[in-house]
Amino acid sequence: MAVMFVALVTLTTVGVAQNLPWNNPGGAQGAAAAASGRPGPAPTRDIGGIWDAGGGGIGARGMQTSPLTAWGEMMGKTHHSGDGARMVPADQINDPLSTLADPGGFPRDLLFELRPFEVVQLPNKVLMLYMFEKRWRVIWTDGRQLPANPDPRWYGYSVGHWEDDSTFVVNSNGTDERTWLDNAGNPHSDQLKVEERYHRVDRNTMELTVIIDDPKAYTRPWTARDKLKLTLVPSNTDLMEMIPSASEAAAVKSIYAAESAAGKK
Amino acid sequence: MKAWCACVLVSAVSVVVGAQDWNRAGLPDSAVNAPKTNAAPAPRRDVSGIWDAGGAGIAGPGHESAPWTDWAKQKAGSYKPGNGPRAVYEADINDPLSTVCDPAGFPRLVMYETRPFQIVQTPNQVLVLYMFEKRWRVIWTDGRPLPKNPDPRWYGYSVGRWEDDYTFVVNTIGTDERTWLDNSGNPHSSELKVEERYHRVNHDLMELTVTLDDPKAYTRPWTPRNKMPLTLAPATFDMMEMICSPTEVMDFRKNISDRTNKK
Repeated sequence: MAVMFVALVTLTTVGVAQNLPWNNPGGAQGAAAAASGRPGPAPTRDIGGIWDAGGGGIGARGMQTSPLTAWGEMMGKTHHSGDGARMVPADQINDPLSTLADPGGFPRDLLFELRPFEVVQLPNKVLMLYMFEKRWRVIWTDGRQLPANPDPRWYGYSVGHWEDDSTFVVNSNGTDERTWLDNAGNPHSDQLKVEERYHRVDRNTMELTVIIDDPKAYTRPWTARDKLKLTLVPSNTDLMEMIPSASEAAAVKSIYAAESAAGKK
Repeated sequence: MKAWCACVLVSAVSVVVGAQDWNRAGLPDSAVNAPKTNAAPAPRRDVSGIWDAGGAGIAGPGHESAPWTDWAKQKAGSYKPGNGPRAVYEADINDPLSTVCDPAGFPRLVMYETRPFQIVQTPNQVLVLYMFEKRWRVIWTDGRPLPKNPDPRWYGYSVGRWEDDYTFVVNTIGTDERTWLDNSGNPHSSELKVEERYHRVNHDLMELTVTLDDPKAYTRPWTPRNKMPLTLAPATFDMMEMICSPTEVMDFRKNISDRTNKK
């Protein structure tokens, strides 16, 4: 079913797509991406395709969280972020993603720079392929449980199920405490549980809700993405590369350091 | 298309026993080395699944290349690799992948640390998802030509086609000159053309051949991977993470440098 649907999309959108340049940055750097074809109802149990949140996906300022616990406050104080309430001058930022090109990790890849991403459904898993960082993750749909005591991973461990014919729900654990949640340096612990809800409203539109539940870091669960609108783009859209490179990050950092030193003279 | 779906389902069902373990580095040697001559025939025009080259994929020492041109000698003059004939001491290595975790890029991903990877076929693409670096690339199969004058990319620009029912051929250009080809610091230019041939021998066995054609850097084309056997892993196989982190590498390098200084 899913495969037949994808084939249909390809045929119906080929006219539009031939006008798309390659190295497409997505809607974030221009007008929101045009929907890929004719409108229609959501197909059954199908979220396959390339989706674009436009500028709404970037989340550069960071998220409004629920109150931090004492542990969360302590962790957050070590995060010298480039945006949000913890913002410091550029040469003092210690964001592991922006200053070193450490992996953004999960769920930061949903809360920051959520650029276009491709969803592929296989019989036993859903694969997510992100333009930002050019990284992928697997969401198991074969009925397996989340591991009881997982080793931490940059991108966690995820299982998914269909709550109804148009809502795919993903639960994750096993994330890596070294990653930040967002550009504001909001922290998380290894006890973090994430729920993603992908609700396909119609053929061309999906809504993403992300709920953060981390009792060690936050006093209550909070909703980092609330029905973020995603638009289906043509299946032959060629996504550009957007990969943080450590040597490029170091070059930028040295410029900041030089500017700061010049300013202090 | 129906045949493809059915095939994936069959492999998922037949291996569901033992599927609950996770974070696996690769197949056991016994599975990689087991003869696959009795396997079911290869499905038509289907290279999908999780494939594992075992130890052969790693290629730690690098590859023996065709002779370098003068341009290559100049380009790689500053390369200080950790392996191969030009290997230097640990503290002096300047491999951009191992010392700062810059992207390995393409084709290094198929030359070095070719750990398990998953191939997915959609109607207009073949997607390859690599365990190493946890990166993915797209191979367009919708008939588009390669771009004429591409911007360089870490992972290049790839198109693929079926040469016959069991051989999928991928052509790639537009790679980034900053990447090394392998652990021994073989260089490449932006004129590099790569051909990958995925030949499915039977249901459980595929062979990968990689040919490099870079007249600016090498005096003739050369074949760093020649029918490298790939074994089909269970569809439920949960690949571990293997991501180069600059923070971890800096700690490691500091450790090496501290030990060197103590001597």
